[in-house]
Parts: sequence; structure tokens; C-alpha cells
Amino acid sequence: MKPMLSTDLNVAETTAEKAKIEVKNLNFYYGQSKALKDINLSLPERSVTAFIGPSGCGKSTLLRVLNRIYELYPKQSAEGQVLLDGKNILDRSQDLNLLRTKIGMVFQKPTPFPMSIYENIAFGVRLYEKISKAEMDNRVEQALKRAALWNEVKDKLNASGQSLSGGQQQRLCIARTVAVKPEVILLDEPASALDPLSTAKIEELIDELQADYTIVIVTHNMQQAARVSRQTAFMYLGELIEFDRTEKIFTSPREKRTQDYITGRFG
Amino acid sequence: MSTAASLHRSRKRKNAVMMALCTIAAGIGLVWLALILGALLYKGLSGLSLSVFTQMTPPPGDAGGLLNAIYGSIVMTVIGIVVGTPIGVLAGTYMAEYGRFSRLTTVVRFINDILLSAPSIIVGLFVYELMVRPMGHFSAIAGAVALSILVIPVVVRTTEDMLNLVPNALREAGTAIGAPRWVVIRSVAYRAALSGIVTGILLAIARISGETAPLLFTALNNQFWSSNLNAPMASLPVTIFQFALSPYEEWQQLAWTGALIITLTVLGLSIFARSLTGRREDR
Repeated sequence: MKPMLSTDLNVAETTAEKAKIEVKNLNFYYGQSKALKDINLSLPERSVTAFIGPSGCGKSTLLRVLNRIYELYPKQSAEGQVLLDGKNILDRSQDLNLLRTKIGMVFQKPTPFPMSIYENIAFGVRLYEKISKAEMDNRVEQALKRAALWNEVKDKLNASGQSLSGGQQQRLCIARTVAVKPEVILLDEPASALDPLSTAKIEELIDELQADYTIVIVTHNMQQAARVSRQTAFMYLGELIEFDRTEKIFTSPREKRTQDYITGRFG
Repeated sequence: MSTAASLHRSRKRKNAVMMALCTIAAGIGLVWLALILGALLYKGLSGLSLSVFTQMTPPPGDAGGLLNAIYGSIVMTVIGIVVGTPIGVLAGTYMAEYGRFSRLTTVVRFINDILLSAPSIIVGLFVYELMVRPMGHFSAIAGAVALSILVIPVVVRTTEDMLNLVPNALREAGTAIGAPRWVVIRSVAYRAALSGIVTGILLAIARISGETAPLLFTALNNQFWSSNLNAPMASLPVTIFQFALSPYEEWQQLAWTGALIITLTVLGLSIFARSLTGRREDR
């Protein structure tokens, strides 16, 4: 594994990076109650951003706004702007299915579909592309290699995705997400249901993936945020308290609340 | 003697009494079932022969079989299932997927539960008024419609329940990969709930294959072979009803045999349904 907080981080931060996603004046409601209060933040392209904060602070909610998955539930609503490459995705005219092919998501609990390992990956690809069997085989292989799962499953691609171990299932879900070639990957506490060894593998993977994808990870594990992310947003009670380089957040935060949280005084 | 030890003793005593009561209750329940099955086997097996499946129901005092009744039961059950299942599955899908948060779902669920426990004779009378009277005669198709009305609430209920058991995380995952709603339902939710939905359909078959009351008012009965859906048709339950009440020994014997056939069929279906759900839980 890469050493945590390696020095090349600093180099990246000095260069002015293009924002992949810009959140502007975002408010979010669960029915009447306001869960996100006037969030403003800008996520740079091809790097890992972590959302941290105590339970109920709104970090997962914010993540779920970015691909509008919250719209599955009728009483949830967002107002404000979320710009993906400058285009507001909260706009009514935004096609949700196309948006979700651009912004993939991996969940806390591994969610393999009730089908074979091969089909788990081919399923998403087939939704928007018509490709030959050979191309599909190649696509599946590439995705599994990308998720560092190929060697473990190459001899049992027809086995059920649900027969894999928890850590393998989660990497299958990452492979599935990568296979549809998204631009952004959202990770909602992707390792919190996994053992330490699987967690290490997932973190290693995140580190590799940031070369090609803009990654946003929600985690309640501060060491994990420190290890994998380049910038960190600290949220508390629906507000964005502080957003800065990860190194800065964990060594010399501006806000006292951030300081209290990362030193374990609450949360 | 210390309090702890006496407390322990009294608890053990209470436990023994409760366990005995529970065992007796379970035993009472099982005894009747065993008696019924035993009587059926004892009286029905002796009449079970090839001719039961190859000959028509006889006139009084003659030997015969149950072929026309078995055929009628199968035909009406199959039509009932073929008509009732799609409606039930689609309604259950609406309730668990599209209309999960809608008021209509609550209303439909409530009405469906009433229909589920409605006496089947009411359904028979309903179809009598709906089809038999306007048509002017009893018919197999009216019988099949009555059975399909009994199928619908069973299938609606199991389909909704089984789809509700599919974790939302799986739907979110399907959605998050860019799949439209109907694809998520077809390829993810149905697949995850398949064995449960099939179980519901099997249970519906088990339920209607033994129904007598709705057929009395619709398909009536037929002493002879008839494959005309527009005419009265024999069925096992109604034949059993008629033969069991008759004074003729051959008829009574055929009634026992018919009852045994239905019971074994339903038993087989239930075991098959159980094995399907069991396999799902193992995973």
C-alpha cells in the first residue's frame, strides 16, 4: 500500500485544478426537516474527496444528492445547484438514467445482483451499449482486473455474485460501477462492513482509481479519510463546517469543531 | 435452602409445565391431521386403481372412475391460474414497486385482505350472477373465472410480500448503475423474489384445486365426459361432494379415492413450494 499522506499530495494541491462537481447553495429536505443547509463546495477532477462527520451530519445525504438517487423516495427534495462540468444536474430536464451512468455509486453493504459474476458486470454495460460477446468478455475482464478481483474469480464467472465473500462482493460492485465507464464514483462507507484486510484492498483500489475518476467517499473512519483522500469536508448537523486539503484538516484545522471532532472529543 | 436455589427449582417446574402444555397443544393439532390423512389413506387407497384415471364417473350401482372429474379440475384450475396469476403479479408489483408510497396501495391492500378471507361461496354466487344467469346455463368457463377470482388475492399478497423483502439497497444499486425502473424491477427485484412469487402461485393452485363451493354455482357438474368450456363440467371436489352424500357404495368409494387424490396433490404442491422457499433461505 502507498504510504499515507504521501508528499505528492502537496504538488497536486498547488496546481489550480478543474472542478468536476460544484455544489452551490444546496439545501435538502426530508419532508419538512432540513437535512442540508446551504452547502457550497467544489470537487476537483481526478482526485479523492472525503466527507466526514458524526452520524446524522448529512454526509451521506450530500452524496446521495450527487446522483439524485434520493429521488427514489417521494418525500425527499433538494434545492440549489449541483454543477457537473458546469451543467446543473438538479435541473428538471436532466435525464436521471444517463446521469447515473456518468456518476456511479457503491454502497455501504455490498449489493451484488442476484445473478452470476459475469452478468453482474454485463448487466450495466448492456443497458446503454450494444457490443459483441467477445467485446463484452473483454469488458468484464477489464472491469474485474480494475477492481483487483480477476484472479480470484476468473475460473468461476458463472457462479452467483452472492456466493462471494463480503470483500469480494464489494470489489465486484466496484467492478460493476467501473464497467459502465462513469466519470465520477461515489462511495458510501464502502469498507465499513468489511474486515481490515478487505478494507485495505478497497483503499488501495481507491488510490489507483483516482488517476481516472473523480471519487467522493463518505466515511466515519477518520484514519481512512486521512489515508485515501486529497481533500476532506467536515460536516456537522447539516452544515459544511470546513473543507480543505486533507492534510490541513487533520493537522491544523481552522474551526474548533473540526478540531474537536478529529481529536475524538465528540462524535 | 438458599433463595437462588429455590427460585431455580420453581422456574424449572414452571418451564416443565409450560413445555408440557405446548407439547399437548401441538399434539392435539397434529392428531386430527394424522387421523384425517390416515382415514383417507385407509379408505381411499383400496379404491385407487388404474380405472379411476381411465373411466368416467359411473351411474349408480356401476363401476367406473373419475377421469372426467380429474380432467375438469385440471382444466378449470389451469385456466383459473392462467387468468389470475398475471393480474395478481402485476397488482402486487404495483403495490410493492411503483405505488409503494401511494394511498391507492393502502386501499388495495385492505380490500385484497378482505377478498383473501372472503368465503369462497360468495365468490361462487358473484360469478353466478355475473356469468351464469346472463348466459342462461352453467359452464366450465364460469367455474374457471370463479377460481381465478380466488387466485388473485393470494398471488397479490405473496407477490407484494416477497418484493417487499427484496432489500431497498438492491434497488438503489440497480438504479445507481443507470437502469430504468422497469429494468430494475424485471432484472433485479423479480429475480431476487422469484422463488417466493412462484411459491405463492403454487399455494394458489393448492387452494383452488380443493374448492367446491364456487364451482357448485358455476361449473356445476357433469356425469359425462365434456371438454366444452361453454357447458357444465365435472370437477373432483363437486364430484366428491355429490358421491359422498349418495347412498351408493361405489360412489362413496370413489369419493374417498377422489379426496385422497386431491389431498396428495395439494400435499405434493405444498412440499414443492416449501422446498423452493427453503432453498432461497439457505443461500
